[in-house]
Amino acid sequence: MPENQIDLIAHLMRRGGFGATQQELEDYTRIGYEASVEKLLDTATPTVMSEYLIRRYHPDESSLLGGLSGADAWLYRMVTTDTPLLEKMALFWHGIFATGYPKVLNAKPLADQIRMFKRYAMGDLNTILVQMAKDPAMIIWLDNQQNHKDSINENFGRELLELFSMGVGNYTEDDVKECARAFTGWTIGNCEYMEVRSARDSDWPYGRISWHYEFDQSDHDNGEKEFLGRKGNFNGEDIIDIICQEEATARFIARHIYHFFVADEPPVPQWPYQPPRDPEAIDQLVKVYFDSKYDIREVMRFLFNSDFFKSEDCWYEKVKSPAELVTGVMRLTGAVDMPRYDTFSKQLRMQYMGQTLSNPPSVEGWDGGTAWIDTGALVERMNFAAEELGNLTTPGSQQLFDKFVAENSEQISPDRVIDICLEHIGSLTIHRDTRLKLVEYANENGGVRVDGNQLDELGKDTISGTVKLIASTPEFQKA
Amino acid sequence: MVTKNERIEQSMHYVRTVGMTTMRGRGFYFPVDTAMASNGRIYVLNRSLERVVADTIRVTMLNEDGEYFGIFGRGGEGDGEFRWPCGIALDSNDRVFITDEHLNRISIFSPDGEFIGKWGAPGDAEGFLKGPAGITVDGDGNLLISDSQNHRIQKFSKDGDFISAFGTEGDGDGELNLPWGITTNSDSEIFVADWGNDRIQKFSHDGKFIAKYGSSGRDNGQFVRPAGVTVSQKGYIYVADWGNERIQILSPEGNFIQKLRGEATDSEWANDFLRVNVEEAEARERADMEPEFEFFNDDPHEESSHIEKLFWGPVSLLLDGDERLFITETNRHRIQVYKRN
Repeated sequence: MPENQIDLIAHLMRRGGFGATQQELEDYTRIGYEASVEKLLDTATPTVMSEYLIRRYHPDESSLLGGLSGADAWLYRMVTTDTPLLEKMALFWHGIFATGYPKVLNAKPLADQIRMFKRYAMGDLNTILVQMAKDPAMIIWLDNQQNHKDSINENFGRELLELFSMGVGNYTEDDVKECARAFTGWTIGNCEYMEVRSARDSDWPYGRISWHYEFDQSDHDNGEKEFLGRKGNFNGEDIIDIICQEEATARFIARHIYHFFVADEPPVPQWPYQPPRDPEAIDQLVKVYFDSKYDIREVMRFLFNSDFFKSEDCWYEKVKSPAELVTGVMRLTGAVDMPRYDTFSKQLRMQYMGQTLSNPPSVEGWDGGTAWIDTGALVERMNFAAEELGNLTTPGSQQLFDKFVAENSEQISPDRVIDICLEHIGSLTIHRDTRLKLVEYANENGGVRVDGNQLDELGKDTISGTVKLIASTPEFQKA
Repeated sequence: MVTKNERIEQSMHYVRTVGMTTMRGRGFYFPVDTAMASNGRIYVLNRSLERVVADTIRVTMLNEDGEYFGIFGRGGEGDGEFRWPCGIALDSNDRVFITDEHLNRISIFSPDGEFIGKWGAPGDAEGFLKGPAGITVDGDGNLLISDSQNHRIQKFSKDGDFISAFGTEGDGDGELNLPWGITTNSDSEIFVADWGNDRIQKFSHDGKFIAKYGSSGRDNGQFVRPAGVTVSQKGYIYVADWGNERIQILSPEGNFIQKLRGEATDSEWANDFLRVNVEEAEARERADMEPEFEFFNDDPHEESSHIEKLFWGPVSLLLDGDERLFITETNRHRIQVYKRN
């Protein structure tokens, strides 16, 4: 096994998950890289904090009256899951099919949408797009309930082509109209009442009522349509079937996947004018997409095993999104074993960093990349990570202290202090100059003293301070 | 074995719905427990959410006809304030005792809601609390509290002096897993909603295991995370089968008699709202409030989220002197009232 196998797996877990503890990395390293990829891809039976438990202590996680309550529950799942890729895929699709509370004004359908992503996230794109088109929150978000056979509303049809599948420049305005016609009658049940309630932001008299998809045959345009050069009496499923066959779709989705999992690309609006960072990688992903009949799991399997993904050139080349950063930090603390009163405050911190789940800035989602970093957000990111990881009372900190005690040495050198801390927070590889600064810090107190099986307070402070500093490094803030 | 006559005699039918959703003042906001005073006044404990303003956490006082008597309590950590209020009970003088499972304390109020005092401290030693949830007053006037995250029941005097404790974490007889609702019968026996073990357990007045009822599941007589329990004078057991979004009635021996799924109608307060919000009322009138479609899964939680009349988060049961059953629903912010045939 190569010496850097654990570092490579750490890279895999930063991208396919939210990072990993040292113990997790050692477990993965024992089975090897390819088996680790397979473990990540096995999303059939995730173990996660019980929904009953979350609902008991946070009653609003049942009915979701609070607009952002669904995001709290999602945070619990991201932090406690043993199947992190599923959560990452949900984040991925949420970023593309960005749907937000301010217009939907009903958090349960938004949470249902995220749940839908998890059900279909690793399946074929055709199914994902059909489910997305039937999703009640999406229908309201893009006004498809107002898309009638005698008066089309193009909003959903346009975004399906522009933002969800093909990208601008690959279809005509006529295609947009024909696409919209095919989705007429795709609406939600009790549409009038639900629209009135949403317009009034009404939770009266007995709280929100969940939404369900409904096909109104009487409002569907069954006529012949011409779409992307093909003619037929297309309905929505037919349109999506055609879309999935297009190379533009394969390239668009492949570039999104590369952007999310490999290295930051420019914001989507620039894609028609700026070539991909690694065109060859996109070509390879496109081939797998077609060879596998649009199967996202196969695309992900190929990606994680590809040379371009494993290459050290792309390590630490992605800025963690606030959701990834907050989740990764909370997983490292090991402190989320039960629902906590202050979970919502962690969610708020994510907002302060610039990302509110189920509340993207627009239908285009979040730009990602360096857009996550402005002065205020960076300070918030560093403060959050330092506060949480520097908290001496968490199980994660206790495990770290135990590692020092296990060294069986009365005096642990500054160099070794840094090694232990870097391993503990996910086998982080940092720049040589950064390391020198950290060693300098640890050396201020002469390293860490261990008295029997006890650390003195100065030693704990040194360890805590070191971890706080590591949390502020570019390598920790990136994935 | 339950006889046909017994089944008919003990079955409940729907009477009315009380309350509605409001963040402040007259109404409920995530009610988690309900108690009734000797004069029929109902106290509804509203837990609210973590992220909203303090005055949404409150106790609403009303009677069954919807007459409103005001509120008391608020969010916070000072005297008379709550973070995660969970259980409410009244003593023989109608003094109000409220548990807070985040602050790990009991707050005491006069019948009119004036703050009297508080006690309790976090910990796992005897007399300390970790997530106090359900609360009831026993025949001797002492308080029985589900010390939930310590997986035990503790008995205190009303002033907070520790008296006794029973139960440890586990799923064996007499062991508990995050117990929630608690009540006593006329023989001072104790019934506990053993939430994490999907069962009801019965103990003697001094905490000795007597019986257990139910197992995990959705069939008759089975439970999913039962939250509340109450017992009639004749020993019939009423269970808020929270995870199954239903109420179950068991015979004194624990045999299944009936399940209720909810039949809510518009309450007085709901009608007041709809009378002045005509557009919404008319759209509601035209809507199909019991739509038929394929649900995401077979969890009744999903069905309840779509069909308003069904129980959603039935958490607490109150049986009054006339054997009318008041069922508090957290997610629908109301109480459905049933009575015996």
